[in-house]
Amino acid sequence: MDLTAVVLRAAAARPRVLLVTVPGGTAVRLAAERALRSRDWPSASTPAGADLMVVAGPDCPPLRSALDRLWQDMPQPRARVRAQAPDDVSSVLDAARDRLRSPGRSRADVRGTADGNGHSDRGHPGDRGVGGGVPRAGDPAAEDGGPGSGAYGEPPEDGSRGGRPGGRQGAVGAHRAAPDDRRGGHPDPHDTAEHGDDRRADHGGQGGNGEHGGRADPGGGSGGHDGHGNGGMELPGGLPMAEQGEDRDGLTLDRLHVPLGPLLADWPAGLTVRLVLQGDVVQEAALDGPPACTSTDLFWTRPWTRAAAGEPVAVGEAARRRAAARLDSLGRLLSVAGWPAEAVAARRLRDELLAEAPASAVLPRAERLARRVGRSRTLYWLTRGIGPLSTADARAAGVSGPAARAGGDVPARYRRWLADVVDDVRQSDDTAPLDPVAQESPRGRWDAARPPSVALTEALPGLLVGAELGAARLIVASLDPDPDELAFRRAEVARG
Amino acid sequence: MVEAGAWWTVLAAPAILFGLAGLAVVGDAALDARGAGRPLTPGTAVRPLLAVSRALLAQPRRLPAPDRLLWRAGVITVPVAAVLSTLVIPFGGHVVADLSVGVVWFNAMEALTWAGLWLAGWGPNAAFSLIGGYRFLAQGLAYELPLMFALISAATGARSLRVTDIAAAQHGLWYAVWMPFALLVHLAAVLAFSFLGPFAYPAGRDIAGGVLGETSGADRLLLQAGRWLWLAAGAAMAVPLFLGGGAGPGLPAWAWSLVKTLLVLGLLVWVSRRLPVIRADRYVELAWVVLLPPAVLQVLVPALVDLNL
Repeated sequence: MDLTAVVLRAAAARPRVLLVTVPGGTAVRLAAERALRSRDWPSASTPAGADLMVVAGPDCPPLRSALDRLWQDMPQPRARVRAQAPDDVSSVLDAARDRLRSPGRSRADVRGTADGNGHSDRGHPGDRGVGGGVPRAGDPAAEDGGPGSGAYGEPPEDGSRGGRPGGRQGAVGAHRAAPDDRRGGHPDPHDTAEHGDDRRADHGGQGGNGEHGGRADPGGGSGGHDGHGNGGMELPGGLPMAEQGEDRDGLTLDRLHVPLGPLLADWPAGLTVRLVLQGDVVQEAALDGPPACTSTDLFWTRPWTRAAAGEPVAVGEAARRRAAARLDSLGRLLSVAGWPAEAVAARRLRDELLAEAPASAVLPRAERLARRVGRSRTLYWLTRGIGPLSTADARAAGVSGPAARAGGDVPARYRRWLADVVDDVRQSDDTAPLDPVAQESPRGRWDAARPPSVALTEALPGLLVGAELGAARLIVASLDPDPDELAFRRAEVARG
Repeated sequence: MVEAGAWWTVLAAPAILFGLAGLAVVGDAALDARGAGRPLTPGTAVRPLLAVSRALLAQPRRLPAPDRLLWRAGVITVPVAAVLSTLVIPFGGHVVADLSVGVVWFNAMEALTWAGLWLAGWGPNAAFSLIGGYRFLAQGLAYELPLMFALISAATGARSLRVTDIAAAQHGLWYAVWMPFALLVHLAAVLAFSFLGPFAYPAGRDIAGGVLGETSGADRLLLQAGRWLWLAAGAAMAVPLFLGGGAGPGLPAWAWSLVKTLLVLGLLVWVSRRLPVIRADRYVELAWVVLLPPAVLQVLVPALVDLNL
C-alpha cells in the first residue's frame, strides 16, 4: 500500500459532508443527520470545504443545475451520492466512503484536471448523471490562464455563475483579457473594488449554495463598469459590475445582488430570496417562487393530513411530531446563531422524539434545553429587536402558528418554540383522537389549500429589508417555513 | 532566572505550540463527542486531526478572478503570526527572544492577523468570504482596544514591556488577583483573535463559513491551524502576564508553565462552547461602552500602586 493510499484512507475515515436537502426530503435528511452525527462526519457549509455531497430526497429537475454547480465547486477527491429513502442512508454513506478511499479512482480524479478524466461520479447508482469532473478537466484555459484566468468567462446574462472552472464554456474567448488586465496593472483601488464586489455578489450565493439564476440587473452593472473606465465589454472574469444606489443614509454605495438559497446550509430547502446588499445591509429583498419541485411528501404535518383524511391519529403522536418539528427549527436557528453545541442538543432531542422515546425520558432534557437556550442572556442580547412581527401583523398576513402567538422579535419566537416543545412533550403519550383543525400543526393551523408555511414565506421580504445579513439569516430561521409544505402547495396548484 | 536565546528553543517553542493547539482540538472534539452522544474513546478524540491528511490531497480551488497572491499571503500570515508571537512567551526558565518590547511584539503579531484574515476574505473574490473578512475587522475594532489596555495593565504593574520582567514582577501576588478584569479582557480577546466559539463571527455558519467558506485543502488547513495556534499562543501568553509565569511550589518552572497554560486553554475551550456567536454590531457597543472604561480604570490601579512605591 503506497503512501497516497494510506492518506486517502485516513481522509476518508472522516469526510466532511455537504448535506443538501431537496423539497420532500425531510425524512431522508433527518436520517442522514442522525447517521452523520453518530459517525462523526462533520457537516460542511460550502462545497469548498466538503469531500462528500449527499443529496437527501427525491429528484427535483429545477434544482439539478444548482446541485451541479455545488458539485463543480467541490475540490477533488470527492464523491456525490443521493439517498432517496431514509433506509438507504446508511448504505449510501458506506458506498460514498468506499469511493473516497478507493485509490485508483480517486487518483484518476486528482489527475483529471490534466488528462481530462475527472468523472468521479460517473455511473453512481441513484445519482443523476452530472458529469461533474468534466468542466474542470475539459477546460485547458483554466490551466494556463494564471490568476483570474479567462477561462472563467461567462456571459453575464447567464446568471452570473462566473464560469466556474468548467461552467459553460460559452464566452471563454470573449473575456479572456479582462482579468489579466486587472491583475497586471490597474492600481486604481476603486476599480478593483468594483470588479471584486460584483463578482462577489455572484459568487457568494454560489459559494454558499448554488442557484443564482439571472441577475436582476446586468445592464446596470455594465453601466457602473463603464463609468470606471475599464472599457467596453471586457468584464473581469466575465462578470458584470456592481451598480450603485443610495443607501439608507443617502450615501451612494455599491449594490450587490446576492441570492440566498435555494441550497444553503441551515436554510429552508428550495427557497430563494434575492437580496440587494449594500455592505452587509439588506436594501431590497424579493422572494423567488419555490422551485417547481412537486412533492406531496409532508413529513412534519403527516398526522394532520392523515387525520384530515379520516384516519384515527392520537393527539400524542401529533404532539410528538410537532415538538420534533420545532426542535428541528430550533436546531437550524441555533446553528445560524453560531451555537453548534446547543444545536446538536436540540437535534438529538428531536431524533429521540421521532424514535418514540418515552416522554418521561425526554422531558427533563427538553426542560434543560429550554432553560439553557431560553434563559441565555447572551442569545437574547444578540437577537433582541431583530425581525419584529406583532401578533396583529402576523394574523393579517395569514400567519397562525407560533410566530403569530409569540408576537415579537426573534427571541420571542424561539422562546415560544421552547415553551411549546415542553408542553408537547408532556402530552406526547396522550391517546385521545386528533382533531386536525383544533390542534395546531407545526407551522400553524393546517389547511391543505394554503399550508401555513406559505404565509410565513410571504411575510419574509418585508422583515428582511434593513436587516444586516446575519440578522436576515436569523429572521428566516426564526420563521422557518417548511419547504415540504411549499412543494406540497405547488403540487396542489399544479393538479388544479 | 529566565534564559533566552538557546538554539533549541527556536525548535521547541513552535513544537510546544503545535502540541498545545493539538490538545485543544482534541479536547474540543471530546466535548463534541459527548454532546453528540458518541462513545468517547481516545480514537474519537483525535479524529479531527485527520483533516491534515485531507488537506494534503485536496485539489486547490479555482475561482473566477481571485486575488491569488493576497489570498495566499493572508492565509499564510495567520498561522505564521501565531507561531512568531511565541518568540517572546517564556516557558518555564526559557524564552526564544527576550525582547525589551515583548508585549508590543505579541500585540503586533496579533495585529498582523487582522491583515491576514482580511486578505483571506478578500482573496477568493466572493461575497460571503469578503463579508467574513470585514466581520473580523469589525470584531477587531471591538476587542483590540480593551485588549491593549489589558496588556498595558500588566506592563504598567511591572514597569516593563519585557514579558519575562512582567512574570518575575509578580512574585508572591499574581496580577490575576489584583487585575482580574484585565485577565478577563485578555481571555475574551484570545477567543476573538482566534475567531473561535463566541467570536467565530468571521467564519459564521450564517455566511456559509465566511473567510473559511471558499478555502479548501492546504489553505483551509492553514487557516484552521491558525485559529487553534492563536488560541494556544494566547493561553500561553496569559500565564506570564497574569498567572505568575513559571513560579510555583514543588514543581520545576516548565511544569508550572505547562500546567497553567493547559488550565487556561481548557477553560477557553470549555467557554467557547457555552456561548452563541457574538455579532460584532452588538459587541462593539459592549466593548466600547461597557468594557473600555473599566479597562482604563484597571490600568490606573497598577499606575497608582507604582507611584506610591
